Amino acid sequence: MAIDERHHDARLKKARGMSYGIGLLKGMAITLRHLFKHNSVIQYPDERQDLSPRTRGVIALKEENCTVCMLCARECPDWCIYIDSHKETLPPKREGGRQRKRNVLDRFAIDYALCMYCGICVEVCPYDALFWSREFEYAEYDIRNLTHEKEKLSDWMSTVLPPPELEDGALLPGQPEPAVAGNGAPAPAAQAPTQPATASGAGDPSGTQTKQAAPPAASGDSDATQPSNTASLRETPSPAAPAAEATPPPEKAAETPPAAAPPAETPKAAEPKAAEPEPEAEPEPAKLSDEVVAQYQAEPGPNVEVPHEAPHPVALERTEDPEAVYQQVLQEQKDKGSSPQVAEARAKVARVKAERGIKRGPTPVEVEKPVPSAPTKGRPAEPEPGGAPEAKGIEPEPGPVAPTDEEKS
Amino acid sequence: MYEINLVGIEFTITAWQLLIVKLLVILTVVPVGALAGGYAMHKELGHLQHRLGPMYAGGFHGWAQTLADGLKFIYKEDIIPANADKRVFTLAPAIIFVPVMLLFLVIPIDRSLIIEDLDVGLFYLLAIGSVGVIGVLMAGWSSANKYALIGALRSAAQLIAYELPIVLTAATVAMLAGTLSITGIVEAQDWPFILWPPGIGLIAFLIFLVGAIAEMNLPPFDMPVAESEIITGAFTEYSGMRFIFGFFFAEMAHIVAFSGIAATLFLGGYRPIVPWAPLENIPGVIWFFGKFAFMFFFIIWVRFTFPRLREDQLQKFAWKFMIPASLALVLAAGAWVLYAPESLWR
Repeated sequence: MAIDERHHDARLKKARGMSYGIGLLKGMAITLRHLFKHNSVIQYPDERQDLSPRTRGVIALKEENCTVCMLCARECPDWCIYIDSHKETLPPKREGGRQRKRNVLDRFAIDYALCMYCGICVEVCPYDALFWSREFEYAEYDIRNLTHEKEKLSDWMSTVLPPPELEDGALLPGQPEPAVAGNGAPAPAAQAPTQPATASGAGDPSGTQTKQAAPPAASGDSDATQPSNTASLRETPSPAAPAAEATPPPEKAAETPPAAAPPAETPKAAEPKAAEPEPEAEPEPAKLSDEVVAQYQAEPGPNVEVPHEAPHPVALERTEDPEAVYQQVLQEQKDKGSSPQVAEARAKVARVKAERGIKRGPTPVEVEKPVPSAPTKGRPAEPEPGGAPEAKGIEPEPGPVAPTDEEKS
Repeated sequence: MYEINLVGIEFTITAWQLLIVKLLVILTVVPVGALAGGYAMHKELGHLQHRLGPMYAGGFHGWAQTLADGLKFIYKEDIIPANADKRVFTLAPAIIFVPVMLLFLVIPIDRSLIIEDLDVGLFYLLAIGSVGVIGVLMAGWSSANKYALIGALRSAAQLIAYELPIVLTAATVAMLAGTLSITGIVEAQDWPFILWPPGIGLIAFLIFLVGAIAEMNLPPFDMPVAESEIITGAFTEYSGMRFIFGFFFAEMAHIVAFSGIAATLFLGGYRPIVPWAPLENIPGVIWFFGKFAFMFFFIIWVRFTFPRLREDQLQKFAWKFMIPASLALVLAAGAWVLYAPESLWR
């Protein structure tokens, strides 16, 4: 081996022949070229770099989102998060109800002298209480000052960037994956991203049928989580609304969280009923989904389970102008007595959905009626982690904490 | 009593006064030149690497950076190792630095702007230029440190190897000019030696340049001070002012001096680069400093382009290539002087 290399070396030398020194000149040409290239220095205190939005500068705490679940502190590899809390007992929300306990955050501190900026706490937080901020200038003369208490961590919140815009065609939270296979129903499928890939994957006749039939169901599915989230969250802050109807569900929902969480486990029998509570607006899609369900029940196949992910109110068939939707939802919400911010936020969500061609399910207020029968249908009663902060962020009242608290207790 | 005609102003001055003025000039020119050279080097290196170099000290583009560096070193503690030979150890930096200062004596900036126009100027340059290595040997030996000793011995070996080509190319220049006086050499260059006589001057220039870079211990010939292996060689144990005078300052002044010498011997010094009447109107100072700046830039450019050679490669290159080549060059120059027709000389 070594001999071969030497031989090779010798041949190379021969090949170079008289070209000794060319390499030196090439090297000097390279450095000379770089001498006249523009320098890449950012003179830091005088000039500021536009840092990437995902820069790991400092971790900010959104205090009202923290439920003292301790996940961050436990996952932290450096153990640099300190959390103290105490329990408070809240009076029952209505007469005869039971008392509720909830955790109150006393201390939340991150020791940045220990932190290694791995970001595990930010990722592990189920309630979006921790965020990365791009700020990085918090050097201190005393190492003790590097432990940021919750007041300081909350102050960093003002420097957190808003979440990035979704790409065109991106899925909203709770929206099912679009089918991968190319065949199937063109028009409705395009309108609403439809079946889970598994459903159509086999390519059997029933599969195609489901696809054609699926859109309404699936699109309803896309909204299934959201209305229910907001519904379960909402009942506390707006007692002025027809809350008498709304109050029971959260309790029930709270009692059955495990069953409710994965919608796929829904009993098949529940399917038709799931369509029932549909608001009066559009009966047709509901029927359609009934048919679909019946078909699935008739032909048990490998894919049978999947379509049952539709234990939800089916979408309203509205082909709307986003602005009109916005105004409509805003008005609806105001009529129901939601606070202005909440109304606006929901209206915005509705508008975004309308813009993206996602069929809008009943707005949270509309869902309130069907909710009483929800537990039997396995409606996802507890908010998804992703859905929670949105609602909480909008409503800073103590209410939002309650559902998560119930979930714990 | 001397009668001086400086830029049209005539006055007389005694020998002592003249000597003091000359000393003052040297004592200002060398440090200022070294500081300015250091600053220029920082800047050039920075831009070679897409950086800016110093930007803050002094306000405007960090012009005072090297001054601030020097002040910092002056404030540092002067440490002498316990096992060191103290007298030799403290004396060594002066022996390195003073000869470098003396090099500036014979470099003409303009036709009459020279501190001492010695008849044996070239000989003086070569003689003084090799005194510094004695200081390096003293520093390395007295430090009682193996790295310092290795560095010093490498430095001595390198000086011996590369002083020969320098001397031989300088002899070539002297033969072509027919004189050892520096001003005489400049006056002989109607065409700079680098352009004429064809080939001989250019090759002599390149060999001289390589030898000078090696003698100054600059990369790619910086084994004596190789920081990654023997930690600035002979100066491992030095600190504070001795370190900066013996090492940084001397090195910088050396580069400045050799830039001036190369510009004088091969590029025609204060004379125009081509014998063309309109160019004669440009003051000699501007010609000199233009050529000097080019040489300085070139040396720094080379310095920061090439990686360090190995010690044996360096010696091989000197003894197997540089010295034979310069000997051949002396022969060629002799042949040119003897046999080239007079009309070709100018």
